[in-house]
Order: sequence, then structure tokens, then C-alpha cells
Amino acid sequence: MRARLALAAAAVLGLALALPGPLPAAARKKKPAAQEAPANFDKFLPVFGTRLADLPQGPMKSLADSACLACHSSDILLQQHLTEKQWAATVTKMVGWGAAVPDDKKSELVAYLVKNFGPENTWQPVTTRPMGR
Amino acid sequence: MNRRQFLSATAAAAAIARAGGIASGAQAAAKKPTPVSDGIPPSRRRLLQLNGYAANAETPLDALTTYITPNDLFFVRSHWIPAYPSLKTWSLVVDGEVERPREWKLADIKALPRTTVTCVLQCSGNGRALHRPAIPGVQWRYGAVGNARWTGVRVKDLLARSGVRAGAKHLHTFGSDKPPEKVPPFHRSLELEKVLEDGVLAFEMNGETLPQPHGAPLRLIVPGWTGNHWMKWITHLSPQPEPQKGFYMDTAYRYPDKPGEPGVAFKPDEMHPVTELFVKSCFTDVPASAKVGSSVSVRGFAFSGAPDVSRVEVSEDQGQTWKDAVLDNQHDPWAWRLFTHRFTPSAPGPATLLARATDSRGAVQPKEAVWNQSGYLHNGWHAAEIAVTA
Repeated sequence: MRARLALAAAAVLGLALALPGPLPAAARKKKPAAQEAPANFDKFLPVFGTRLADLPQGPMKSLADSACLACHSSDILLQQHLTEKQWAATVTKMVGWGAAVPDDKKSELVAYLVKNFGPENTWQPVTTRPMGR
Repeated sequence: MNRRQFLSATAAAAAIARAGGIASGAQAAAKKPTPVSDGIPPSRRRLLQLNGYAANAETPLDALTTYITPNDLFFVRSHWIPAYPSLKTWSLVVDGEVERPREWKLADIKALPRTTVTCVLQCSGNGRALHRPAIPGVQWRYGAVGNARWTGVRVKDLLARSGVRAGAKHLHTFGSDKPPEKVPPFHRSLELEKVLEDGVLAFEMNGETLPQPHGAPLRLIVPGWTGNHWMKWITHLSPQPEPQKGFYMDTAYRYPDKPGEPGVAFKPDEMHPVTELFVKSCFTDVPASAKVGSSVSVRGFAFSGAPDVSRVEVSEDQGQTWKDAVLDNQHDPWAWRLFTHRFTPSAPGPATLLARATDSRGAVQPKEAVWNQSGYLHNGWHAAEIAVTA
């Protein structure tokens, strides 16, 4: 699902990109300055130009994809290092704000989040390009 | 993929396209990168992404070495994917406790007397990742801060055209960004006294048109106060007798009245709105290694909600003794002060330097920040590590 979601988004972005003019094919061949191009950089992706990370595999991945990634990218999950109690409170808050999590899936989702983004999580932010350059 | 997911994905993409993210990306691809000569080397020109969408990224400390933080390296903080205002339809409404409600177009605002202020913008959550126990939210470390020149018009001058009534005490502020789903709107207010004294409605940042991620066409500048007061994409100002209500006033952006036990949440009535910045300093430029007997320079910045920083000290012995760092001459009210310290190692091994600032009111940066459940205003001593060889 996540891959399809990403593909759909990429398709829309591709459409939007095609609008300004016929430059992407030629531009792709240009070799940008080294400092402008981190390994994960793709200038055809929006905002910071980084590919967005997938959530970890697991039985709750597809629910997390649909409930969480509609409003924000995976980064905000990947960087948390929270206890079970904190994750449960966060899920409750997000459900109140519109995240579609069925009641009978909530504890399983919390377990997935604690397993992957618990107190021992050692995440580092993604290095990206400067804005607008 | 169900309909909701598809709509969300397409809405996000469309919002970004509308926002100019795609267009600017395409433009960037079409021409060579603009050469920059602001003293920050190419190898340091990057951001640390904390969220791809909504856009949140901080500046690495080693890119915060200059008095003015360049626009392309300035941290970005967004609650949601914003629909950036179109200048054709954008206007600023002034209503509430005023004699003459009015709707402003940007050209009319630009016709007012202009002013430029140079000051620090810091996200109130900067340093959240440093609090223990851990706190949910964007895990800002050090770089949700920058110092810029903001050009625009005084809030006082603009509101004077509408005649603010005596009963108004708070300025309610509204931007054009709309939350997704059932997330509460980011509606805010701040004391009218402060914003009439110091507030600026800015349309330029560092001499350039205010970039869209930073609030174009107009954002509020509140020198000395945390970024949550600096409403972006502003569309509506309303002087009122009482503060604004809502999640982002009554629950979020509040700071404890007095310190408590780390990890134990405060009740809303034990807290007040987060406003003034706390005195704080950080190292930005530190060599990885040094030799015994050879001095090296370490540099950094310091700022406060008091209009100036009077002193920065560096400790080479875990805080037992302190030496005055040299403050740079450049300063403006509520801007940061750059500092330099010469360190001459006396023994091989790992060396730790600590920095602490004192502001113009005498407040001293504390060793430990006060834990609070939202992780605001971390200002504990910053440490720099240097490997010393014989």
C-alpha cells in the first residue's frame, strides 16, 4: 500500500513537474555540485528534495501507513523514542485528530510503534540540501 | 489504496505544487545554483530534515557561524502542509476592538514607513530532543534557530490606521494554513503591549522577498519571543480584550510556572504561555582535534529574551572555573552575539569545553534546562568535544 501511495504521489508530482516546461530530461544529465547532492537527494521530489523513508515492516505497517502518513511523512515517527505509555497517549491524541485507527487495532499499533521507535531508538536526521537552491 | 488515502496523497502533492515547491525545484534544475559568498563553505550548506512533510528541518550548528543566517540555511518549521497564499487574492484583515476595520493589500502595507530589525528566531521546541525523559514531538536538537534581518512595517503603524480601542489587550493572529482532518487550527494571541512596542509585519528576510516556507507574503516578527508568536502567512489581526482560546493557547505552547520533577506532567493552570527566549549559548565551530600547547579557536553564538547578551564564558574543567570568551562587535537588540574562545590544551586525551551566557538583565544560562512536557526552551550548558594529542 505504501509503495502504491508513494507511486500515486510520485505520479501526481511527475504531472506537476511536467507543467513548467521540457527541462527535466536535460536537467537530469547535469552533474550538480557535490555539496548540493547528498546521496538521498532527488531534485524532483518536493520541499527538501529527499526520498521519504518507508516505515519498518511488520503486521501494523499498512495501518500505520494509512493512519499516519496521510498528514505527515514517516520521519516524525522514525525519530521518536517513546515508552509504551507515551505511544498509547500519542495514538489516542492522533485518533482524536482524525487518524483512522480501529479500536481493536490500537494496542497492536502501539506495540508496533514501541518495538520500532522505543526508548532505545537511535535515529539520526536526514541530511538534505539548502532550501530553494 | 482507498479514496481517502488517494485524496490525501494527491492533496499533499497538489499543495506542494501550489506552494511553489515543484516550481522552485524545476527552476533550480534549470539554472546553476546561485553562488553564495556569505562565509559558509559549500561543505556545510545543508539542512537536517526532521519531517519531509509537513516541512521541518534544522540547521546544523556548523552552518550557524555567521551573524546573519542565510535564507537557504534558515531552519524551517511547519505544523502542516500549507497552501501558500496567492498574492492576487491575499489580503490582511484588521478587525476586533478597532474604530475602523480594514482590509489591506500588500502594496498598501508596503507604502507605510518601513523598518528593519535584526533578531533571533528560535522555535520554542528547539532542544526538545535533549530533554530527559524523552518527549514526543519534532526532535529538534540545536539548530531550530537563526538570526536574520527582517524588513517590513511596524505593527503599531499598521494598527494605528484602524484606531485600536482602549479595551484591547491581546492581539489575535491568524494565518492561512489550515490543519488536516480534526486537528485544531493554529490560532494564537499575544499581549498587545509587546507587539505594539516591538512587533513588525515583515515582507523581506535578509534583503530578499520573504520566502514562502518562512511565511510569505507577510509574517509577524516578535523580537525576543519564541517562534510560535511569529505567525506565518498572516491574514487576520484582531485586537481583543481577552487572549485567544483553543488547543494552541490553552494546552500547547505553555511553560511551567516553576520547575517540577522531570517526567511528571504539569497541569495547564500550572503553566503560562511560552513567550521570552531564555538565555542560551551554543558552540558552532569547534576543531575535532588539537595539540597540547597549541591554541585553537572555538566559536559560537549566544542570545536571550533580554535585548542583549553581556557575557559568554567557557569552562575547560567541567564547570569548575570559567574564562570570558570574546564577544563579537556586531549586535542588535534581540539578535545573537557571536563569541570566540582560544583554547590551549595542556594534556592529551578528550577535552570538553562548556559554554554559558549571561544576558543584559543578569540572567545566567543554567547547567540543566527545566524539564517540561512539551520540551520547550532547552538552554542547558552546551558541550564541545576536542581530541587532544601530544
